[in-house]
Amino acid sequence: MSHQSPPSAGNQPTCMEMLQAILDGAATPEQETQFKEHMEGCMPCYKEYSLEMVIKELIKTKCCGQCAPPELVDRIKSSISEKAS
Amino acid sequence: MDALEQEAPKQHYTDKQKQQVFDGEFMPHINAMYNFGYRLTFDEDDANDLVQDTYLKAFRFIESFQQGTNAKAWLFRILKNSFINDYRKKKKEPAKVDYQEVETFYNSEDVDRQITPDLRVESLQDMMGDEISNALNSLDVDFRTVIILCDLEGFKYDEMAKILDIPIGTVRSRLHRARNLLKEKLSEYAKKMGYKNHTL
Repeated sequence: MSHQSPPSAGNQPTCMEMLQAILDGAATPEQETQFKEHMEGCMPCYKEYSLEMVIKELIKTKCCGQCAPPELVDRIKSSISEKAS
Repeated sequence: MDALEQEAPKQHYTDKQKQQVFDGEFMPHINAMYNFGYRLTFDEDDANDLVQDTYLKAFRFIESFQQGTNAKAWLFRILKNSFINDYRKKKKEPAKVDYQEVETFYNSEDVDRQITPDLRVESLQDMMGDEISNALNSLDVDFRTVIILCDLEGFKYDEMAKILDIPIGTVRSRLHRARNLLKEKLSEYAKKMGYKNHTL
């Protein structure tokens, strides 16, 4: 089975579509299992999956460092207290 | 704010309940909101203003929010609207994605191609955080936004569609394009780091 051909007959999504669904958090558990089984025998899919997952993980760990300054939190809370009172 | 008011039947909260909703459901998302604001504007002061404005709007329209529903998505939507309606206009930022181009791309044969034959897992692992962050920041704001919403914040297609006011199909195609653009950018960085002779 080619990595770009449908994993089964009918209107099934292609491997790349399934990979995107997995990356986007939109794949069903069955689709994930099906893709992972397919990946075991398909090096292009395995490499693309590995690459995409590393990028996704790096974004998660390296791009979330901006915490709200405490002054901002205080300013919002006091504005709301004024409005509420 | 029309969209916010139309979203749900108006709730009736006492002052105490409003405070509880605000403190219990809105404030826990302040760091994610600030990070989003910062990654949209690249400026701490602008991010501060954007987040403060968002929270004040959220309080003003709190009766349009139904307790127990998705506060984070609701807040992100307000922030995104404030960014487009207030911040972008103020800064006269002209950048806007050509949506036709996005749709054409998704409907083309290109959708299945692997566009980064020279990007390797190993080269990514050698990168410091700066390259990843810079690559994300280099994307046009509409592409950057979907990556932030999906990969950083874990929003689903339907939530992103509501936050961005676009159809789910457009969310999907924009994410696909954004991931490819990000890989292209990372590939450039990898080449600069000396991986140009390797192939995937």
